[in-house]
Amino acid sequence: MLDESIQELAAGALQRIAMAGTAEELEAVRVEVLGRKGGALAEISKGMGKLSPDERKRIGAVLNQAKQEIETALDARKATFEAVALAAKLDSEWLDLTVPAPGPRRGHLHPITRIQRELEDLFVSLGFAVLDGPEVEDEYHNFDALNIPADHPARDMQDTFWLSGGNLLRTHTSPVQVRGMERLKLPLRMIAPGRVFRNESVDASHEHTFYQLEGMMIDRNVSVAHLLYFMKTLLTAVFQRDVTVRLRPGYFPFVEPGFELDIQCLICGGPGCPVCKQSGWVELLPCGLVNPHVLRQSGIDPDEFGGFAFGLGLTRLVMMRYSIDDIRQLQGGDLRFLEQF
Amino acid sequence: MKFSYNWIREFVPGLTQAAGPLERLITMKTAECEGIEETGALLGNAQVVLVESVEPIAGSHNVKTQIDAGPLGKRTVVCGAPNCRAGMHAVWTPIGKKVVSGVESDGMLASASELGISRDHAGILEVDTIAGLVPDAAIEIDNKSITHRPDLWGHHGMAREVAAILGLPLTDPAKLELLPEGPAAIQVMIEDYALCPRYSALVFDNVTVGPSPLWLQYRLTSIGLNPINNIVDLTNFLMAELAQPMHAFDADLLHGDTIFVRTAKAGEHFRALNDESYTLDAANLVIADAAGPIALAGVIGGGESAISDKTTRVVLESANFQASSIRKTSAGIKLRTEASMRFEKAQDPLNTVRALARAVELLPLVSPGIRLVGGLADACGPLAAPPVIELSLAWLARKLGRTLASGEVRRILESLAFTVADMDADTFLVTVPSWRATKDVGIKDDLVEEVGRMIGYDSITPEAPLAPVAPPPANPARRMQHDVRNLFVDNGYTEVYNYSFLSEADVRAFGMDPNDHLRVLNPIAEGQELMRSSLLPGIWNNVKENLKYRDSFRIFEIGQEIHPNETGLPSEVPHLIAAVYDRKETGLFELKRMAECLLPGAQTKPAQGREYEHPARAAEIHWRGELVGRLFELHPRMMETGRAAILDVNLARIAELGEAPTKYTPIRRQPSSAFDLSVVMVNRQHAGDVRSAIAEYANPLIESTNYLWEFALPDGKKSVSYRITVGSPERTLESEEIMAIRADIIAILRELNYELKV
Repeated sequence: MLDESIQELAAGALQRIAMAGTAEELEAVRVEVLGRKGGALAEISKGMGKLSPDERKRIGAVLNQAKQEIETALDARKATFEAVALAAKLDSEWLDLTVPAPGPRRGHLHPITRIQRELEDLFVSLGFAVLDGPEVEDEYHNFDALNIPADHPARDMQDTFWLSGGNLLRTHTSPVQVRGMERLKLPLRMIAPGRVFRNESVDASHEHTFYQLEGMMIDRNVSVAHLLYFMKTLLTAVFQRDVTVRLRPGYFPFVEPGFELDIQCLICGGPGCPVCKQSGWVELLPCGLVNPHVLRQSGIDPDEFGGFAFGLGLTRLVMMRYSIDDIRQLQGGDLRFLEQF
Repeated sequence: MKFSYNWIREFVPGLTQAAGPLERLITMKTAECEGIEETGALLGNAQVVLVESVEPIAGSHNVKTQIDAGPLGKRTVVCGAPNCRAGMHAVWTPIGKKVVSGVESDGMLASASELGISRDHAGILEVDTIAGLVPDAAIEIDNKSITHRPDLWGHHGMAREVAAILGLPLTDPAKLELLPEGPAAIQVMIEDYALCPRYSALVFDNVTVGPSPLWLQYRLTSIGLNPINNIVDLTNFLMAELAQPMHAFDADLLHGDTIFVRTAKAGEHFRALNDESYTLDAANLVIADAAGPIALAGVIGGGESAISDKTTRVVLESANFQASSIRKTSAGIKLRTEASMRFEKAQDPLNTVRALARAVELLPLVSPGIRLVGGLADACGPLAAPPVIELSLAWLARKLGRTLASGEVRRILESLAFTVADMDADTFLVTVPSWRATKDVGIKDDLVEEVGRMIGYDSITPEAPLAPVAPPPANPARRMQHDVRNLFVDNGYTEVYNYSFLSEADVRAFGMDPNDHLRVLNPIAEGQELMRSSLLPGIWNNVKENLKYRDSFRIFEIGQEIHPNETGLPSEVPHLIAAVYDRKETGLFELKRMAECLLPGAQTKPAQGREYEHPARAAEIHWRGELVGRLFELHPRMMETGRAAILDVNLARIAELGEAPTKYTPIRRQPSSAFDLSVVMVNRQHAGDVRSAIAEYANPLIESTNYLWEFALPDGKKSVSYRITVGSPERTLESEEIMAIRADIIAILRELNYELKV
């Protein structure tokens, strides 16, 4: 009799759970059936006191089983409702990720900065110090200490901006060599990248303001063979491919012997093309063994130490690397140009 | 400088290489060639013909001629030259058939200009023979690459290089035995042998002045010189051949029989060949006669004693001058001549008489009947003995980085006219030839170049230097600048580079005085006469240019401010300048955030706006107790449209202050507490002042004071809320302690007349 009403109650509850359409309906079933006060099952268990101990035990088990079945069904149904509700909530949080992200995009380093840093890193990895020197120089460091005395025709090779007060705008980064020799201990390896100035009219391929990278190594027994090795290593790294270099005579008062260094044309590889003016070679940088007068001027004994020096045209290298056809763009400040790098 | 291939070959008879391969050899071993230009190309097939008949062509100024081309037969040629006439001998070039003025013309009757012999194109060349005039090639050498080589400013010097490169014999055109003996017809007085080490001269009479023979005109024309007359042309020819500038005076126009070489008197006037008048001073060396200057030494001759059609007697000068004196004079009067260009390279004093000897040989060819008068005038100071250099072969091999046979070194040096003697098994005593000794070669390192270039640098195998492994000295200032660049680029800023020059207007626009700037004495263009003492004008221009294409952008620059000092070099101060432009919004807070990223703990202190700044939007940036920069919006007057916020930071100052040392403190295990305070302020009061007041209270239990928000109240007031977090590393604070701190802060703020909502 009692068994039957429990079975009936459980069956009814399970059916209502299955039919429940909302979490509230489900809760109503729970309160009605499982509620501690006034719940149907609680009501039934109230009448159990009248039963024999054996019977009470048996009915108790039946009652527990029914309760567990109902609870399991309730939990399962509740989980379903929650999952649906969560899914609906998340669905409402739909975002259009094709909309551009707010905030600025990454900016752009100037192309000269990029190449200059690349070279600085390379030289530092080879044990070279990176030195800075003033853009306004005195005549001594820019010329005299580099074996270019006043009235030397070589001064014509570098049209100079002169300043009030008797100083000048450095015409090359070579004065930093002198400052390096004055400052660093021997043996020394240094580079000096920086801005230089020549009094030249500006057009697509000429600038009065451009960038050079001066390099110098001073040690015992430095030879032309070492210079060649070094330049080849350097340029292979710069151009990220094997380059063929050649030296030919060039006159620069601060080196002896002095060279023009050419690289085999990277466009045609040697047979000749418009870029190399059909010669197969492109003039790249001046270099040489440091003139003993220059060493002596900076207090270095040329019988004990020697060295090589070179001057790389950074601006030129940047233009070659990116095929820039107008040098004026570099200092034009136009974002349409700068944002390409 | 241009070199005639045929001229070089006269001195190197064995030369078989064509101009092209020769140019490449010269480039690799001697000096940079800039190209080859064919000259006299038409002379290859040209021949002298008889113009048999000339008839007019109706309606044309051209005429139809019948010519007799000898074995090639008779031809009809149309000619437009005014001097074309029957019976003349002209030069015909078979350049093909072409209809001209309705008549088929077979080839062309050529002018001297068309043939490349001279610049004369007034008419066709009338001439009996063109024997010896053959096509030539002009090899152009970069003047910069022979700055140090006085000898390479003449063909004979270049021929010596060619002979040495190819191992061929070299002939010498100067025959000193031709120089006349006996007393000279003119006296020379040199005031200072330092300025004029040597002055040699010859006198000639029975001179006929007229056009030069064609071979001479052709030689000069092919290297870009303009034929003038036979005497002047010959001096130019000798200069181009032997690198010795010369000058011819009309002897009858000189006063007295003595030539003085002296410095000019202050204010002395001189009228030159170019019809210009110059006022001289004691820095200028002049050649003078009894009446005054007749030439500006080594630069230009005088107009009054110039060679003319009437000249019958000539004084031929071949002198040597101090290089720096000539250079100074030439630069001073801004006149560079073929002569001054050579003298400033330090010419060889032994060369004066060589050129005169060559003149004695050639003058009769250009002025038939010319006669020498008297012997050689030759005033000469003490000449330095040629240097003798000890050259160790082992040292030479070490410098070049390859082994060398002593015989090869000797052969190379001797081919370049050095004299080589043995000192010991390893050492040569090398005597420098006079024309290399003036400036070019003086030490053993100079000989490394002589040997190196002749063996060819391509014969040296690259070899890794042995160098100590050592980390290079650091450059923290440069490192920091790179870090700053990264920070700004990562946050959307694009780097610009601006010139170091500013205009006076730029400077004034930013309230600066042009006189506080270093001035460029020779600016390249107007508006570039001052050195920038601020990066502001540059970035301002960048903003104005780019807003034409963009509604919003961020840019920055790192560069040197240049400030003059009383003495010595100016101060160069690296600055960062960043700008945020937007059509509507201000970028000030974005830049403030950048300043705080760059300088953690930086404080922004309101400042009085300067003339070019927005008067209500300017502040100073302080860091570690020092003023390091400025943050502001540009005054709207400076902008046609939009707003430009600017951050300017002195990077040198930051580098000096250095990074704060990093110090670790253990993470607090005791919970902190927080309370909020809302302060009522008048609208223009600074929210930051509350924070500063709390900071000044300096209670060690206060962990942080954070601005939360603010909102407007009626009557021009606002409510600003702060959250104050308190705690102790040792213990949990009692609520009484927290309340006491809160009460303290409230009291402090009330004392400062702030109204608190509590």
